[in-house]
Amino acid sequence: MVIDDLLKRFNDVVADPYAEARKRREGGQKVIGWLPTDVPEELIHAAGAFPVGILGTNEPIHLADAHLQSWACSLMRGCLEQGLKGTLDFLNGIIIPHTCDTTRMLVGIWRHALKTPYIDNYLMPRQVDRPSARTYLKGELARLKSNLEECTGQLVTDKALRESIKIYNANRLAMRRLYEFHGTNTGVISSRALYTVIKAAMFMDKAEHTALVEELLQEIGKVEPRNDERIRLTLSGGVWEPPEILEMIEELGGVVVADDLLTGARYLGPDVDTTGDLLDALAYRQLNRIPFGGFDSTIRGRSTFLVELVRGARAQGMVFLHLKFCEPENYDYRDMRKAMTEAGIPSIRLETEYANTSLGQLRTRLQAFMEMMGGNGS
Amino acid sequence: MSAPFKTAGLLKDLMAQYYAKGEENRKLGIPVAWVTAVFPVEIIYAMDIFPYYPENFGALAAARKVADKLSEYGEQQGYYNDLCGYARCGIGDTYADEHPVGKILPPDLLVCCNTQCGSLPKWFEAAGRYHQAPYFLLDSPLIEGEVSSLGKAYFVEQLWEMVDFLEKTTGNKFDLNRLTEVLKLASEATRLWNDCLDMAALKPAPFGFFDACFHMAPIVTWRGTQVAVDYYKALKEELDERVAKGVTAIPNERFKIYFDHIPVWPRLRWFSDLFADHDALVVASQYTHSWAHKFDLSRPMESLAEVYTEQFVNRGFEYRIKLKMEFMERYNCDGFVLFSNRSCKPNSFGLYDKRQVIAERTGKPGVVFEADMSDQRFFSAGQIQTRLEAFFEQLEQNSRRGKT
Ligand code: SF4
Ligand code: SF4
Repeated sequence: MVIDDLLKRFNDVVADPYAEARKRREGGQKVIGWLPTDVPEELIHAAGAFPVGILGTNEPIHLADAHLQSWACSLMRGCLEQGLKGTLDFLNGIIIPHTCDTTRMLVGIWRHALKTPYIDNYLMPRQVDRPSARTYLKGELARLKSNLEECTGQLVTDKALRESIKIYNANRLAMRRLYEFHGTNTGVISSRALYTVIKAAMFMDKAEHTALVEELLQEIGKVEPRNDERIRLTLSGGVWEPPEILEMIEELGGVVVADDLLTGARYLGPDVDTTGDLLDALAYRQLNRIPFGGFDSTIRGRSTFLVELVRGARAQGMVFLHLKFCEPENYDYRDMRKAMTEAGIPSIRLETEYANTSLGQLRTRLQAFMEMMGGNGS
Repeated sequence: MSAPFKTAGLLKDLMAQYYAKGEENRKLGIPVAWVTAVFPVEIIYAMDIFPYYPENFGALAAARKVADKLSEYGEQQGYYNDLCGYARCGIGDTYADEHPVGKILPPDLLVCCNTQCGSLPKWFEAAGRYHQAPYFLLDSPLIEGEVSSLGKAYFVEQLWEMVDFLEKTTGNKFDLNRLTEVLKLASEATRLWNDCLDMAALKPAPFGFFDACFHMAPIVTWRGTQVAVDYYKALKEELDERVAKGVTAIPNERFKIYFDHIPVWPRLRWFSDLFADHDALVVASQYTHSWAHKFDLSRPMESLAEVYTEQFVNRGFEYRIKLKMEFMERYNCDGFVLFSNRSCKPNSFGLYDKRQVIAERTGKPGVVFEADMSDQRFFSAGQIQTRLEAFFEQLEQNSRRGKT
């Protein structure tokens, strides 16, 4: 079946995430990695380099223990582990964003323990509501741009940046269409398939990814819509790891219809305007992303957003997927849960870790939750 | 720890006054603002707002050994014990039905600077929602390498945004002349405080880091007022007197130690005794030196921006190593102890590598130990003692080698 073949392609990418990056490197292109979340890939792309997401690992973590305490989140411990193991030796550079105190400190450790030629920060403003944030962020993007130019030896012209942004906008548009399709025709592809497509975008050539997603959209458009009685759920948190969680949700009679994950909806929007000052437009995208524990808007808070997310997606429940030791999430959780309760939305928090989550336990908890919501729970 | 200080009585009164003042002030119509420790509080004082330090509340609860208890109230609400202990104490206390260190003072508004960490903004955000009080974040991007004009300009712009916010929420007016006066007092107090800290470089020293932790409260809370100036004058006098009389911090000081960063509050005495038993005095820490600044009165806002963004807590890996090494040199340290504090990621992540680098560069022994600054559920006395004993053994070996 064509759909299955297409999905298999995305699956293969995610199973061997750095294949394309390695190929590019061998072909003589510079490769720049980025850690979650929010690094403006368009700038990397426009500087002639290949941007690739570094998203942790589900393999055991040992080497990182000598550099980073065991009470750091397993996402960052895993990224460091990959670096120390040599898995990321193909990188010409890496950009570590300031999303929380863990990433803020990781950059120094990375510089000390690893020999990646170009190491940089992306220091986003932590407040997004006041005019100063935008002025500053434009300056920060300009700084990053000139460092990237130095790394790749290629100037980021306005023309090149505009082209890159268009490629990314097209990619985001295709993924958003898929996301919306899945939200209304839940029976056609699985939740895991949807999120695998989004994740694959972080490792692939963007134009190629867009073309594949468009092909997929065409194929699934042909499928007769069917009535799906499963329980509609939203996810909130960082990453959908370990990936089996998504299958588990479906096996227990649920389906994921919306989220605010870093490896989900946060990656999709908003678009970047290509008509005016491009750095300002990139800044606008950053400041107008959906809320996240690291940079919450004080005007329109995350709890309001999440309640609207659930309602907008006609979902019946919320699953908080939190990585153990994730500080931003742990500070937010109590009020987010409260907002759900007050809105009459059942919710559950699942604490996960890369490499180390007991799937059996997760299953038991999810099952109880689904049964409570009136699902088959089997 | 040293023999009791006369100033200790004064300090106790001052702090009692400070804690009583919050509610009194509010009745007088003076708004209460929650602030963070490394924050341009000078603006708050200059606008006749009362600054309240929730971190201080956390430290107090920790020192009185009730942090675990308060924390549990927060944990029952859905806050995790992986979070900063100060935040857990503060949050826990708002939900607690017992208040072993008094009630944390509810804010009329909250102003937070994230120079220190990302915990404080999250805690303040949550507290703002709970108390339904307006919240303002002064955002200070990390200075990883060189100081940049970009970050500074951003901070200065935000200082003005904050003044605007404060005027709107409190109705009080901002006045640059008044700020200059406050800055003068803050400069004077920090100068005196540093003079006191420097006394630890004498050998033998009249006071050390664990004493400094105790005497630090006024430089945090009363910085920018005459009270702090008077307090550190008195402390300095007492220290001079001790030197004259030959009173020393520990009976037989042979080793000077650099300690990073914060004490394990509920075990302060346990640590200071352990060090003293080995004739070692902890003499310096970047923590107690966090208020080592001077203001340029001719350009107050820029000067505030420099002081509060260029703090070590906002600096990169190399800078922090250099700073620790400078302290070791200035205070003639024989070794260093680094505290990997489960509560405090920004001061702890990177310490394993830093230990290795500093040991290589200085040739001095150093050790990292694991604990939590406030929560005794994460304290393993045996483990720490074993680590430190090995460290003291190295100190002895080095000193024997030095003598032969
Ligand atoms: S935001 Fe959470 S998951 Fe992401 S790096 Fe920080 S602690 Fe880890
Ligand atoms: S102890 Fe660390 S994490 Fe906690 S408030 Fe202080 S700087 Fe922040």
